[in-house]
Parts: sequence; structure tokens; C-alpha cells
Amino acid sequence: MPEKPKLAIYWAASCGGCEIAVVNLHEKILDVDAAFEFMFCPCLLDTKKKDIEALPDKSIAITLFNGAIRTAENEEMARLLRKKSQLLIALGSCACEGCILGLANLHSKQEIFKAVYLDNPTIDNPAGTIPSPASEVPEGTLTIPAFYDKVKTLGQVTAVDYFIPGCPPESHQIWNVVEAVVSGAQLPPAGSVLGAGCLSVCDECERVKEDKKIARFYRNFEITPEPRKCLLEQGLLCMGIATRDGCGAPCPQANMPCTGCYGPPEGITDQGARMIAALGSILDIGDCKGKSEEEIAARVEALLDSVPDYAGTFYKYSLPGSIIGGRVKR
Amino acid sequence: MKIGVYFCNCGTNIADRIDGGKVREYLEPSGRMSYFKTCPFLCSEDGKVFLEQDLKDEKPDRIVIAACSPREHEATFMRVMGQAGMNPYLMQMVNIREQIAWVTEDPEKAVKKTSVAINAALKRVELHEMLEKQELEVSPAVLVIGAGPAGLKAALTLAEAGRRVTLVEKSPVIGGLPVLFEELFPNMECGPCMLEPVMAEILHGEHAENIELLTMAELTEVAGYFGNFEVKIRQRPRYVDIHQCIGCGECFEPCPVSGTNPFNNDMDEKKAIGFTFMGALPNAPYLDPTLCTRFTEGSDCSACSAACPMGEGVIVFDDQEQIIERQVGSIILATGSTLYDCSRFDNLGYGRLPDVKTALEFERILASNGPTAGEVVTSTGEQPGSVAFIHCVGSLDDDHKPYCSGICCQYAFKYNHLLESKLTDTKILHLYKEIVSPGKEEYALHRAARDNHNATFIRYDRISDLAVTGENDGQKIRLPDGNSINADMVVLCPAVVPTADTEKLGAMLDVSLDRFGFFEELHGRMDSARSKIRGVYLSGACQAPADIQKATSQGMAASGFILSELVEGRKIELDPLFASVYPEKCAGCKVCMRVCPYRAIHFDEENSVSVVNGVLCHGCGTCVAACPMGAIKANHFTNEMILAEIEGALK
Repeated sequence: MPEKPKLAIYWAASCGGCEIAVVNLHEKILDVDAAFEFMFCPCLLDTKKKDIEALPDKSIAITLFNGAIRTAENEEMARLLRKKSQLLIALGSCACEGCILGLANLHSKQEIFKAVYLDNPTIDNPAGTIPSPASEVPEGTLTIPAFYDKVKTLGQVTAVDYFIPGCPPESHQIWNVVEAVVSGAQLPPAGSVLGAGCLSVCDECERVKEDKKIARFYRNFEITPEPRKCLLEQGLLCMGIATRDGCGAPCPQANMPCTGCYGPPEGITDQGARMIAALGSILDIGDCKGKSEEEIAARVEALLDSVPDYAGTFYKYSLPGSIIGGRVKR
Repeated sequence: MKIGVYFCNCGTNIADRIDGGKVREYLEPSGRMSYFKTCPFLCSEDGKVFLEQDLKDEKPDRIVIAACSPREHEATFMRVMGQAGMNPYLMQMVNIREQIAWVTEDPEKAVKKTSVAINAALKRVELHEMLEKQELEVSPAVLVIGAGPAGLKAALTLAEAGRRVTLVEKSPVIGGLPVLFEELFPNMECGPCMLEPVMAEILHGEHAENIELLTMAELTEVAGYFGNFEVKIRQRPRYVDIHQCIGCGECFEPCPVSGTNPFNNDMDEKKAIGFTFMGALPNAPYLDPTLCTRFTEGSDCSACSAACPMGEGVIVFDDQEQIIERQVGSIILATGSTLYDCSRFDNLGYGRLPDVKTALEFERILASNGPTAGEVVTSTGEQPGSVAFIHCVGSLDDDHKPYCSGICCQYAFKYNHLLESKLTDTKILHLYKEIVSPGKEEYALHRAARDNHNATFIRYDRISDLAVTGENDGQKIRLPDGNSINADMVVLCPAVVPTADTEKLGAMLDVSLDRFGFFEELHGRMDSARSKIRGVYLSGACQAPADIQKATSQGMAASGFILSELVEGRKIELDPLFASVYPEKCAGCKVCMRVCPYRAIHFDEENSVSVVNGVLCHGCGTCVAACPMGAIKANHFTNEMILAEIEGALK
């Protein structure tokens, strides 16, 4: 029997949700197993880094790499797997664009350590120890991977062949990609997004879209949305208009506004900026003719105040991969 | 790609501050520029000849012109390019005069800035596309809505220029409000007499055949856009054949029923068949089916028809409503105004006290064809010993209408003048917040009122400072100082407001309304006769409170726009700088539709994509910025061009 192509799934800074999405293939996982030698997955298998290092270059057919690049180890593994893989595929929002942990880019490494290891009320740390790449102890020097200043996307540290967006990617879309690779179908040019559409979530959302004019935003708990009308038009901050489709719009169709996990639509580099530009055009502060500047400013302020969290809303998944990338320190 | 740069010295304007030679040295290493040429005055005749010849010789693919503001000479250079056989959109202009030479002290910095700006243009111009103006067939016909002074003058002006005009009037009579007024400020001319020549021209004049007058008609549907509107007009039955009727009035007398006459503000009665008032044009009565027993009771009365000296068939009992469809290239809104509802002021007693009248009612009382044949009498038939005019009712008032209507003082002083001659002993009281009488003729009536020894002027601050109550022998008005004064008749001069149909028409035509409910003009000073919708023009008091002079001028202004913008036999040129939707990228979220100020975007339900109408689009780019998909392209301002320009400026 000829040797099956090798498949690896690696997690860097990640939550494990992408692995669950893979497992959610259910019985199709057997087809994956039939087609591939599933040989590396720290979450499920006992293969070690040294086993990978021992492989000849390009001997892994596909590596599905999930998780963002938060530490030196993440980057080291990304580079190693790049070297050993024919196809390196970014799986999920973290690898593609940095995802929720990318919001850490609004803070410095020092601020994060202070919050986690010093100010955290459930931590007892009288010595004020914070992680350091090298710590001297009586037994010698202890080393751990360095914690980077900024969260990076996989594409920011190594060349990536394809991107499968989503937090996590929908299982059927992972299958679509696996199936395409297995079938030997002609794959799109390197750098393309796979397992997703080319439009926005609105294209898949069956809610009726009419006049977009938003006088204020509501948090999800504040209103029960009308079931057939566009959520954004009802004042729920649905990111669907600025989010790539492919998920099937399960959230808006279950009365939950899209939070944008499939990232920017095709050809858009900055999802948050796009959303803000679109909202800027449809927010309604009423007729301002003859109103004083102060009153107009107050109305704008009041409307913007109904947006709970700018970065966490507009850049929930995409801050490291966006044009701004995070907070800039001077 | 061969890209040439033309650097204009603008005499010393640019050359004094920016050294073209140094700019050239700075730019050469990038390799983007194929040649760099300097010209002393590129916009001069010599400069244009040089540019044209040079473009023919060099045959560049793209050019960058570093000179003045594109607002000044972009069109000039584009024309030269066209003459040289080059697509004029393959050029990018860089404003190095206003934005650099005039504002940069240090020549070194000026050279650097200029180089950066030209480099940005070089990066951008590479991406420029050949754009062509497109042409569209148009209908020269015009729809005018409203046959008051503004609409009449517009229709006549256009008809005289040979345009086919459909003039739609809601009521059975033309002439608008002033035709109801016996005399007009400022020169005490007779309203109907002044309008008569215009109305006669409309009805029977040399160019009358160009005008289709539809009375008792309203616009019900509009489709299409500038140059090609398809309109539907509903005309209610008049029951009188307007062409056969000679207007003799023989039919009125035999008619057995009557009702109140709305044209005299219900202050008198008229028969079921009759004129709105004597002298009304078109010179034919109309039959009111809400009064005529044939319609109310199903009777077979034909008294009017039997009395008609022109025979049977002039009165048409089975006349039907008609839907009239027309194609027009442009529409003039001239729907006029009305008065603010005085019954909102409980303290003024309007509607409760019989001798509290509005200005419109008082005009009819003054009119010789009005309910009292021009006799000024109270509800008891007596001549009033005192008449109070309350100015500014609902005007200059944040709770009602914050503006000054501008005409009320004028007509109140006209009333003063008329009363002075009709009732020499009657006391006159003017209660006012402010008095305005600007204009070269308007002060005369004001001064005459001031000189009238029977007249008293009292100023008040708020309308609530006044209270009108009924007394046995008339009205008592409580004044701001707490004193009271008697008035046998009180005339309210309320704010001028848009007519009730304004909102409906605005929605039908997508013409926006201002915060007072008037049709909103394109620009308050420069373009008050144009709406924001291309091809829809505004005339008269539907745009803002207006006197007759302003209304007629605006009617003619709108006609002028139409005559210059839609010329018979000339197609309209479409500027290629419009937006277009990539249908394959549109997800149908409809964000763009709301943001378009020109209503140029509609939704193709079948394909679930937005579509921009290139005729209506002004190329403002608002939808381009709003589209979360980046699915809308603005010709000549694509995202790629803008990013390339930014990159060129930064790198």
C-alpha cells in the first residue's frame, strides 16, 4: 500500500476550538483518516517536536495551523512546520488575523503581565514574579519561550498557502477544503481564502434588508429583535455587512448579531475600518439643519455612546491583521 | 508606460518658490517619469499650443500636470488633450501653486513637497482609465405642477420657447392665491387684472397650443429620471365641457342645491354648478358632485343642462376621472403655500369667534367678487368701528414657525390703506412682533400706515401675551401690558407654510423637504430654483414664503435652467465620473441606498444587488466609502488609485 500523505494539525496561541471543529466532522473524520496519515496534533496525538524536526523538508502534505503567534515558541513551530509542509494552511481566525487574543495588542506586554500576575485578585504572588525567558534558580537556569510584545498572525511570521477563516471555521467548510485537496482539484492561487465565500454574511442571511438608518444601538439583552428584519436595521450591531460569508449566517438567523469571525470580505484589508465607514454613513442623528454645533456633537456622542466597545466590536477578530494592528506606543 | 510631467512656472507664481530643475532631479531616480518639461504659462495660448503639439509628438500614455488648482485649469488642459487626440482622463493634475508655492516659505521644502506630490500623481496616473462621456436622448417636454403666478410664468416662458408644457392644477381655477386678492401690495394693483394677461396667454395666446392645461388634476405617479420622466396625472371630472362652454353662467340659477364655497373660505354659498368666483379662469363652471342631487340622491335633475344656451352635451353628467400619462424631461414644482393653522392658538379665538378672521378670509371680504361684494362688515352686517391686525401669528416663534414669512407686514399695511379709504372713521390696531418692509417700493405702504392717524401700533413679544375674547359688541383683546382694547374685527396674519400636498409630492419625486416642510433647494443662495433631484425645479412659495415678484422670477429661473439643461435635439452628456456597482461583489446589504443624496441607487430585487443610475449619480463617492464590501467603484477615484496616490506620497 502506498504511503498516505501526512496531515498535521498544530495549535499555537489558541483555545482548542478549531480542533473541536475538526472533530465535529463526525464520521467524516474517518474519511480524513483514510486519506491521510494524521501524524501530528499536540491536542490529540503524542508526536513530539523532535519527531517533526527529524522529518525531511516538505514531507508533510498539509499542516492546518491554528492559533496566533503570541510567544517565541509559536513562531518557532510556525517556521518549523512551514519548512516541513507542502501546504501550510492557516486554520481559523487566530492564525488568519489574530482573533480575540489579538485585542491584547491594545496593551503592552508589561501591562498584560501586571494585570495577570500582579493585580489579579486570585493570584498570590508576594515576590512579584513575572514570567521571564530565563530565570536563575539554585538548580540552574530555567527557560521558557519569550512572550512577544504584540500578537501576530501566522502570515506575519511565515509564508502561508491558504487561509480558512472563522472562529472556529464551520466544520463543513473544513471538510470542503480537505475534500478539495484530497480530490486533487485545482486549488486557487496561493494566498487565497478557502472554505468561505466571496461576499458578506448578508448574502447568506435571509433577514429582509430595507432602509438602513440607525438612531441608536442596543445591546443584545435590551431588545427582542423582530425575527425577519435585518438586525442592524433594528439597532443591533451586526457585523454581517463587513464580514466574509461562508458560515451560512447561523448567528443572525438565531437572533444573534454577527460578531465578524469570518473576517473582512474578499478584497477588504481592514474589517473594522470598513464597518465604521459603513456605519458612519447610516447612523442617524436626526435633522440637524439649524442646530448648534454643540447640539449636533451631543447627538453624535449619544449615538456613539450606545456602541459598547469600539475595538471589541469592530476589531474583535481582526486587530493584529488590520491596518492599525494595535496600539502604537511612542 | 510612458508618463510625461509638465511643470508650469505660472510666471513667477510657482517658479519663484519651486525650482523645477531640482524637482526633476529629485524625481528622475524613481524611473516612473519618461520626461519632464517646463512651461512658463501652460494655460496661455502659447502654452496650450505647446502642450497640444508636445502631446502629439511625445504620444505619452499618461501625463501629470503640475500647475495651479485643478478647479482653475483642469478643464482647460483636458480640452487640449482632447484636441491632441488623447483621452483627457489619462491626466492627473497636481496643485503646486496654491497648495505649495504660495504657502511654503523654504524653497528646499517646497521642492521636496512638490516632488512628493508629483510622485503620488505618477503612481496614481498609471492606473487611470480611459473614460468617455456618454450621451442620452431626452424629452424636451416639461411638467409644471401648480398654476399660480410661479407656475403660470414658468409654463408661459417655456411655451414661448417652443416647449411642450403640461400644466397641472389641482383646483378648477388657475391664478393661484393672488387671483383671489382684490388689490396687491406694494402698488395696489388688482390681482386678477394683473394676472389676467398671463392667464389669457396660457389659455388662448400665440403659444397656447404648446400648453396642455389640466385643471382639477394631480400628479399620482412618477418613474424615471432627469430627461426621461414618465408621469401619471389623475384628472377629476369637471362635468362641464371646457371647450364648448362659453362661461355665460345661465346654468347657475336653475340649480336647486347649494353649499358653502371653499374659494370664499366657506363664508358664502354657491350652487352645485358654478364658478369658484366671478371672473375665474378657465371661463367654465364646474359641477360639485358632493352637492348635485344626481350624485347625492341619484335624481334625474338636469336643470343646469336644460338652461344651457349652447345646448345639450356641454354639461356632461357621465364625465369620468381620467388617468393621463405623459413623458417629460423635467418637472417644475410650483405648488405654492398656505397659511399656518390659526386654530392652534386657543387664545386668539379663531374658529370660535365669528369676527376673528385669517388674512385669506379678509382678502375675500375685501374682494368685490367675494362673499360681501367687497363690503367690510362684521358677522352681524355692521361696519366695524375698529379692526385689529395681529401680525406674526405663529411666526418668529420657536414653538411654531421660527421664520419671518416676509409678506404679512406688507399685506397688513395694504389692509390699513384699504380700510382708510373704505371706512374713514374705523380705528386700526397693528399688533406685531417685528415689522419688515424691505425693497424699493415696499416702504410706501408702511409709511402710509404709520401716517394714518386712525392707526395704532403696539408691539408684543409672545403670542401668549395676547388674548382675544368675545364681548357683546365685538372682541376684546388683552394686551401685553394687561390693558384691553376692543376690536369689532380681528384679522390674523399667520406664518406662510407649505401646502398639504408638499410632503406627498416630495416623497413621490424624492425631493427632500427642509425643516419647515418646504421643498429644499439645491443651494439657498445660488440655486434656489433647483431641487436636489436633477430635473426637478422649484418655483415660488413651495420653496420658501414668497411674494409674487419672487414667485414669478423663480418660475422664469426654473424655465431658464430647463432651457439650458435640456435643449431640444441635444442629448445630455453624462460625466463619466459616476459610481458603479460590481454586481458579483454586492452582497445586497443595502447600506448604499440610504447614503445616496441623489437617490441614484436602486435595488435589483431579482439579482439581489444594488445598481447605480449613471444619469442621476453625481459621482460624490459617498456610497463608495459606505459599501462594506468595497463593491462600488467610483470612476477616476478607485480605491486602487487613491491607495497608489497615498503610497506615492509616503514612499
